[in-house]
Amino acid sequence: MKVYQADMLKQFSRIFQPKLAERYADKDFEALGIELKQSISSVFGRSLAIREVDSGSDNAAEIELVNLTTPYYDIERFGVSFVASPRHADVLVITGSVTHNMEIAVRKTYEAMPYPKLVVAVGDDACDGGIWKNTYAVNGGADRVIPVDIKIPGNPPTPREIMLGLLALMKSIRKK
Amino acid sequence: MNQLISYTAGLLKLPETSFREGGNHEAYVTLPGEGLGEAMFRLEKEFGLAALFCVQNFSGEEGFTLFYAFEKSGCPDMLIIQRELAGTQTTSIARRFPSACWYEREISDGFGIEFINAFDKRRLFLHEAYPAGFHPLLKSFRNQPMETIKDIPPENEYRFREVEGEGVYQIPVGPVHAGIIEPGHFRFSVIGETIFNLEIRMFYKHRGVEKLAEGKTPTECVPIAESISGDETAANATAFCIAVEKVSGIEVPPRAWQLRTVFLELERIYSHLGDLAGMITDVAYPVGASGFYILREEILRQNAALTGSRFLKDSICIGGLKRDVAPDKLRGLSEYMTSFPARLGRALDLVHRSSGVIDRLDTTGVIRKELVGPIHITGPAARASGVDTDTRIDHPYGIYSRFPLTKHVREKGDVMCRFEVKAEEILDSVDIISRLTGQMRQGDTCSSAGIKDGHALSMVEAPRGQTVQWVRVKGGLVDRWKVRTASCCNWRAIEHAVMGNIVPDFPLINKSLNLSYAGTDL
Repeated sequence: MKVYQADMLKQFSRIFQPKLAERYADKDFEALGIELKQSISSVFGRSLAIREVDSGSDNAAEIELVNLTTPYYDIERFGVSFVASPRHADVLVITGSVTHNMEIAVRKTYEAMPYPKLVVAVGDDACDGGIWKNTYAVNGGADRVIPVDIKIPGNPPTPREIMLGLLALMKSIRKK
Repeated sequence: MNQLISYTAGLLKLPETSFREGGNHEAYVTLPGEGLGEAMFRLEKEFGLAALFCVQNFSGEEGFTLFYAFEKSGCPDMLIIQRELAGTQTTSIARRFPSACWYEREISDGFGIEFINAFDKRRLFLHEAYPAGFHPLLKSFRNQPMETIKDIPPENEYRFREVEGEGVYQIPVGPVHAGIIEPGHFRFSVIGETIFNLEIRMFYKHRGVEKLAEGKTPTECVPIAESISGDETAANATAFCIAVEKVSGIEVPPRAWQLRTVFLELERIYSHLGDLAGMITDVAYPVGASGFYILREEILRQNAALTGSRFLKDSICIGGLKRDVAPDKLRGLSEYMTSFPARLGRALDLVHRSSGVIDRLDTTGVIRKELVGPIHITGPAARASGVDTDTRIDHPYGIYSRFPLTKHVREKGDVMCRFEVKAEEILDSVDIISRLTGQMRQGDTCSSAGIKDGHALSMVEAPRGQTVQWVRVKGGLVDRWKVRTASCCNWRAIEHAVMGNIVPDFPLINKSLNLSYAGTDL
């Protein structure tokens, strides 16, 4: 019982310690995040819901997108959330060169989205097919199958580059 | 090598002179037309089928040659049975070696070869969008963008195994999933909440890796090897380069092998950390997962400091490395690693102290030991099921024979065992990196020797297990490249691991193996 109480006390005292995330804070990234949050607020009110579909990437782009939600970045602080269904999404993120085997699934996902149906291509292969461009198995870029609003190149783009891309998307909508 | 040849010669009743040594610890033997069934019967008990692939116009004449690559436990060399086909038909071996099922379907799709007596003849990587009679790996097909079928009639749709009975219903999942993961289709047959049968359909991400390489120089193919699976960049690039280096007799400088080993182990660390975090996320304990995610992000940043890429891309090349790594970056890595084991220990402690986590991980998703051989399960998944296999020790490559490596083996084969095996392997990799950064050799990081013609098999222990590649260079260009990643084998283990478990545990079981869809679909 005593051990249990001591453990509780230790847990409780952590409330007053500096937060774990503060230890990993990066000033530039924080500034970028706040800018993104402000631009999302001016376009969508408060938050931006993203649905991700992999149409044939090498899986590195997915890892970087997942990383955006991990403690170093924690993109949800800035009003961006990844949702489980296209029906809840403002933005569709496409990774991969859209293989023939994924083409129908990509089209159906896009059709299931509500307007404004924004689409972001993440990674070189989603932008223009990348190294797979001329193979028999791919369409070669997301814009061959659905309309794309912005392209974020990279093999794969870093979490920071993806954030910059989302910021650019928000700015381009505001201009319209 | 001689030991393997004399043993197999006795077993198959063939003269030792009919064997031919390959470029990289493999022995080839041509099997006469009739003897396939008999030979498979003799090999079944002691050999495992590591790969099966087809090559067109191999022996100079028009026609197809099949290669069956076998691994024997405790033997560093590989046995490759070579069979020249008279036409486009041959007998299936999938009833004796179940792991051959996907390989045979793959060969049927790629080359149009028919496997008589096969229990599954459905198309594999060519989904409904591809027209009938289309075989992309034939030399007569020039790789180019093509028109596909847009409206697929219902009768042409893929037929899943039907499970019928009172109270049985099906849950189709995918190819688009709820999380940020790769696409694949899972067809569950369920009674109540318990999984009765699972059929996995893959190859949604088929990009045509093997065909794309044909006619390119080996150097041009390294970026393709890196893109087989993004989180196994170093492993697949190394396996491809080893094959080409063995074919060409290129000596890789010692410093390059040291750095390659650092990269390979960094890749194992961040990959395993992602798996640990994923398993803990999937049992709804994000606080416990965050410790692993923090460490993984730091390793990705170390990767970027060393090579300029968080995924170690564009650093390995044929003959060694594209660029040397600056001494201060290696010092930085070495200093970083000193506090790593203790920090990982604290993150693991948080998990082990949570009864809720243990309850979900323990006894969930058991892969039985008897399945490891027939399905050729490899890597941490095999080790967690009581089979001591590790390509770094069984078939040493590069400088791995110099390290006192251990195989971390567990007996139960459940998610908990896979969690523990991966955690221990991370610490081993940290140890290898720490040893290496303390004793780096000076000198060149790339050999400038030229590329020669020939063929060789190479194997590398990627984070998920054994990667097998076979490369044939002809006229300085890649003529045929076969890739078989660990994921390709281990996907079929999931179909067995989930049986009797409840549907909500499927994501956890899937994550405990964390297989690459890209690496399977090619």
